[in-house]
Amino acid sequence: MNRLDPRIRILWIVRSILTAAVLAGIVLGVSRFVDPTWLPGWLPAAVFVGVGGLGVAFAVLRYRAWRYEVREDSLYLERGVLTRVRTVVPFVRIQHVDTSRSPTERLVGLASTVVYTAGSRGADVSVPGLTPSDADDLRERLKRLAIRSEGEDAV
Amino acid sequence: MPRSLSPLSVPYRVFQRGGGIVVFLAFAVGGGVTLPGLGPAGPLVLVGVALLAVAALVGYEVAYVRRFSYELAAETLDIDSGVFSRRSREIPLRRIQNVDISRNIVQRGLGIAVVSFETAGGGETEAQLRFVTFDEAKRLQRELARLKRGGAVESGSEAVATDEGVSVDEGVAGGGRPSTATFAEPESTELFALDRSELAILGALSVDFRVPGVLFILVSTVGSTVIGNYLESVPGLALAVVAVVLVVAVALVSWIAGAAASIIEYYGFRLVRSGDELQYERGLLQRYDGSIPFDKIQTLTIADNPLKRYFGYATLYIETAGYTPGSSGAGGRGSEAAIPLAKREHVLELVEELEPVGDVSFERPPKRARRRYLVRYLLVVAVFAGALYGVSALLSLPFPWWISLSLLPVAVLFAHLTWRNRGHWLGEHHVVTRNGVLRRETKIVPYYRIQTVIDSRSVFQRRLGLATVTVDTAGSLSLGGQDAAAVDVSSARADELREELEARLGRAVDAYRSGRAGIGIADEYNSEAGTNHNEEAGTHGGGDSGEATGTPESQGDER
Repeated sequence: MNRLDPRIRILWIVRSILTAAVLAGIVLGVSRFVDPTWLPGWLPAAVFVGVGGLGVAFAVLRYRAWRYEVREDSLYLERGVLTRVRTVVPFVRIQHVDTSRSPTERLVGLASTVVYTAGSRGADVSVPGLTPSDADDLRERLKRLAIRSEGEDAV
Repeated sequence: MPRSLSPLSVPYRVFQRGGGIVVFLAFAVGGGVTLPGLGPAGPLVLVGVALLAVAALVGYEVAYVRRFSYELAAETLDIDSGVFSRRSREIPLRRIQNVDISRNIVQRGLGIAVVSFETAGGGETEAQLRFVTFDEAKRLQRELARLKRGGAVESGSEAVATDEGVSVDEGVAGGGRPSTATFAEPESTELFALDRSELAILGALSVDFRVPGVLFILVSTVGSTVIGNYLESVPGLALAVVAVVLVVAVALVSWIAGAAASIIEYYGFRLVRSGDELQYERGLLQRYDGSIPFDKIQTLTIADNPLKRYFGYATLYIETAGYTPGSSGAGGRGSEAAIPLAKREHVLELVEELEPVGDVSFERPPKRARRRYLVRYLLVVAVFAGALYGVSALLSLPFPWWISLSLLPVAVLFAHLTWRNRGHWLGEHHVVTRNGVLRRETKIVPYYRIQTVIDSRSVFQRRLGLATVTVDTAGSLSLGGQDAAAVDVSSARADELREELEARLGRAVDAYRSGRAGIGIADEYNSEAGTNHNEEAGTHGGGDSGEATGTPESQGDER
């Protein structure tokens, strides 16, 4: 079982703090310009701390829950904080494999590998938090395995 | 040789697009619109402009039809189209999943039809021919099936009849159908036809659940003030009576709407097996002719509701990749049932013919799952009662909110039924799951069609040691977004299922490659084009000794 790169935690934490900041900003704006009487003055700070704290906790827990493994015939993923999801993607069913690096991921020096199947859940299967070389390795490996076990039609 | 569209499509296309111009003109002239600076000549100018527009439209449509050509080659369907920007397409025949023909009343009068070709990619129709003659459309449908089969056999052991003997097949229910419909395939057999009484029952059993919603919106926006005044002048008990009457009326209207819609939709429905394809046709005002190749079938779904269950009826849906025949994809069609309504035994026979499943004995979730459902439904009742209490307290209406507490036994019963109707089963070649009470769906997924296996456990499920195993296929998600899932199985069983499904997929793929059957279709190519379905169905079961075909031997050839 592989785990994600620990740096993904930084990414997730920063993202949730940013979300919290945006939300708090909206609340702050409302309280400044609209100024409803029922809105307590400490609400923006509370929103920031609450949402941010929750986000940080989730980021840490999510990192702890994430596992992936390239097995003999399939890719196996395990993830989720509240709902624990385990996904099995047989290599026969892989349509194509991408690696992608969003701007924030590049900032931290990480990449993700996305596995596409013909299933109705589409591009649901992505492995975040890999170092770029790991992501490329994983992609190549999955590609080779998928080609090796390629069927007549993957649909 | 490339073919072109029917010349009749020019006037039809012009009227289709030009309707707006005519309406505009009628309004503008009739309404006495005066253009500034033109004086009394205004209407004339308007008419002139409109005539120009019509002329341009006619010109464009003539050019469109003239420059549109298509050709059914040995391997591909080639389409060249476009007036200003040209587009050439080659669609490999093997990738075409469905060929659908639809004709509305006007098109039927003109004898033209829309032909849609569907592939697995995307939710959109891959190519559409607007319009060709109906005979040509049927020819395309037939030829395509023939070419595909010819391509699949390759070794040429099966001499495909190239001459299309015109056997006029006037169906039992082909009321409004021109008698030119031809099924050249000698082995085409009618699997199912919806007769009048079944159509009536189907109508009686369909309720349009959108009607209450629409009515609610109408009432809440338009009539809110009227109702508010009315409420104040009526005592509490009478209010309850009025509410009951209203509910009954709404139910009646939804029922009538649903009945009318489904009768129009499924009038003259028949399902024909033609070689390795299913062909269906249906519709009162707008006729649909579609084809579903066997080897593209992803999932079969048997759906019923308490009413249908009581009377012994069921509905069958057939999903192919990325598209469900009849779904809103092409031409805005409403429903997607492969068999809208039939006796349960009949549906099971057809299922057996398409995917030999055998006897299914469902494994129910562990008893502790029932507790979840009980808690869930009790919460719903509690919220409902709370809302009613809140409303009656706020509006100070003497409405007896505690009446809602009488729903408690219903919740208990419902929890039990939810548990009872839930189950999964692993067969020789298929995984079968069943869920739902009011709309119960039994999904049959061949192992070969599994895309991914997803095991998810929510916080509440983990507390009870339960899990949901979802089997994802390439089928479309049009049926209420539900995949085949074994809901609330024990954690240990979920682990087992995950491993087992993956292993069985692997075996199914191996079997498929080595030419052994397992998913119904592989035999089709090899078996003699048998006239008797029992034999073919027999080879399915016979291919694997372990196949327990527990269905009655009489297949649904003739009704």
